[in-house]
Amino acid sequence: MIKGWKGKRLRIDLSLQKAWSEDIPAADLRQWLGGRGLNASFFSQNFQSPISPSSPENPIAFAVGPLTGSLAPCSGWTSIASFSPLFDLPSYAFTRMAGHFGVPLKGAGYDQLILQGKADRPVYLWIDNGEVKFEKAASLWGKETTETTVAIQEEKGDRNMEVLCIGPAGEKQLPFANVIHRLSWTGDHLGLGYLFGVKQLKAIAIRGKKPVTLHDPQRFLNLCLTLKERIQKDQRMQRVKEEGTFSLFGRDDGMMQKNGKRWLPSDPVKQWATSLRTHLSGQEGCFSCPAHCGGNIQYQEGTFGGIHLEKAWHLGPNIRVYNGEWTLKLHRLCLAQGLDPFLTGSLLSHVMEGAKNGLLPDQGPQQPYHIWDQGEKAFVILRQILDGKGNGFPLSTHSPSQNEDLDFLADILPFCMIVVNRLNLMTASNMIDLIYAATGYALSKEDLRDIVWNIRKMESRLQNKGIYLNDESSLPDLGEGQISEILRKEKRINESIIHRITS
Amino acid sequence: MSAISILPERCTGCQSCEMVCSLSHEGSCSSSLSRIRMKKWDEISVFMPVVCQHCEKPPCMTICPTGARTRSPETNAVVTDEKRCVGCKSCLYACPYNAPVLHPNTKRTMTCDLCNGQPLCTQVCTTRAISYSPEGDLSMERKKAFGQLFLHSIKSR
Repeated sequence: MIKGWKGKRLRIDLSLQKAWSEDIPAADLRQWLGGRGLNASFFSQNFQSPISPSSPENPIAFAVGPLTGSLAPCSGWTSIASFSPLFDLPSYAFTRMAGHFGVPLKGAGYDQLILQGKADRPVYLWIDNGEVKFEKAASLWGKETTETTVAIQEEKGDRNMEVLCIGPAGEKQLPFANVIHRLSWTGDHLGLGYLFGVKQLKAIAIRGKKPVTLHDPQRFLNLCLTLKERIQKDQRMQRVKEEGTFSLFGRDDGMMQKNGKRWLPSDPVKQWATSLRTHLSGQEGCFSCPAHCGGNIQYQEGTFGGIHLEKAWHLGPNIRVYNGEWTLKLHRLCLAQGLDPFLTGSLLSHVMEGAKNGLLPDQGPQQPYHIWDQGEKAFVILRQILDGKGNGFPLSTHSPSQNEDLDFLADILPFCMIVVNRLNLMTASNMIDLIYAATGYALSKEDLRDIVWNIRKMESRLQNKGIYLNDESSLPDLGEGQISEILRKEKRINESIIHRITS
Repeated sequence: MSAISILPERCTGCQSCEMVCSLSHEGSCSSSLSRIRMKKWDEISVFMPVVCQHCEKPPCMTICPTGARTRSPETNAVVTDEKRCVGCKSCLYACPYNAPVLHPNTKRTMTCDLCNGQPLCTQVCTTRAISYSPEGDLSMERKKAFGQLFLHSIKSR
């Protein structure tokens, strides 16, 4: 019996309303290790060239790794891949989603979930410990994400199950729509809301309680306790625990750098951060995570979760909104409607800058000249877009994916990139130890390098880029001291992506 | 008096407590094998671990028809004697906290055994939503939390 993994793939055809499971050979699991490789391998085997994101055959793949659903710290992430609507030409794209969704998927008995086809009417999937049902979603269509989540949980009589759903934005097939679960976590940069909307899939409700068996439970327990203690005692992590990712604000290791130079926040930006902090109330954590970097927000109608600095930044100073309350309103609107906060921020910036330069198309959203407050202006423009005045606004970019050369160490399993890459609190050696204790597979650093190399070759082929790495030595060394190098690359690429989208 | 104290407002819903409990007791990871259970309400971001409070006058001990629920002299924990338990679920209904659960395989009641006096869930709970007080410090922790709440409500008037 395979330890750590489940060795099964759940296939779902929405057109035929059929679900079946397939075996994933143990050799494949070892070859690809985690979710990112499994997804790339599936696409590589089944597609010679990219297909249209709107076609029923376009699969959406969710996959997890050998440590998902276990005590391993920060292992609650899920890899997701599809042919994305965000690019001029159909292109393979992948992302990872924090939170809890992968855990019940593993608990239901699967390492991977492949969704294909297109339902003839709105449906939601109910996956209960391996049993799949296609439920009618006509009554949910048009509802916001909060209502949808609660309605499904109440219908099934279990508030503890996980619901991944789209909001009205996904139903309208806006390319920057998103999926949301626990009303906080999102799978960004992929256009997942659009893909769900095209398939008329409102939500995936999932409950999985089958245990994850381990090769050496005692060793695994000891390793996890040691790692959790190390992460817990780290000084920087203490700050992250107190203020969420907002503690990285304005620091060298934060994300607020421009063109590689250290950037000091101006007074309006400081005021923006201060006003946001006053609304932070309590924390929120991914599965089995000692960091709890998500901040709950206490604002007007109540408490809601899921704000991180990166998302707030894209709906704040990035679009020249320095009033923290408007950032919160925009963020809340994104979560309720099911929008990608990163792409929404980039789009708003584009619209607002475009209006200034006279570049907006006639049929696009119009600049509300009578409003002076930048935050209110952004809110009104976003409302216009959601009400249909901006559907089809060009958002596409030539970039195949934001992940092309970065944080694969965290990504291949998948793991939390903040703990692994940004704070350097978990190394390749730690992961190798954990994988051995969980699965009995004695991996070496060279094996890990080969896995990364093979995954990237597959992804390059899928993205029609050809093999862009001519020299294997250009891969960063996965040694313990090299993770900061990966981090620097990540920052540069993120900046260039944002630059490309906004310009 | 010894018990595990829960402060739900500190819980972030990470489920580390469930995982360490099932791993240390059962050798595998699953919330269904855990003696501690996290309840959640997504729309208001509220999470609450539920675990046996080892009451001073445990209703589960009173109601158990086979005398399977007993108090451990070493740790003062209220535990289940699996040989005597018949899985009648009486304790599940009698418990005011809804803490006991049936083991999915053995179908016997399982509750917290305080890990021989060193509960692992308290070790992995980095927000200190779960804490353990073997000698009654528990009440002080709760009094402090309640005092803070009381103070806050007075100040906000």
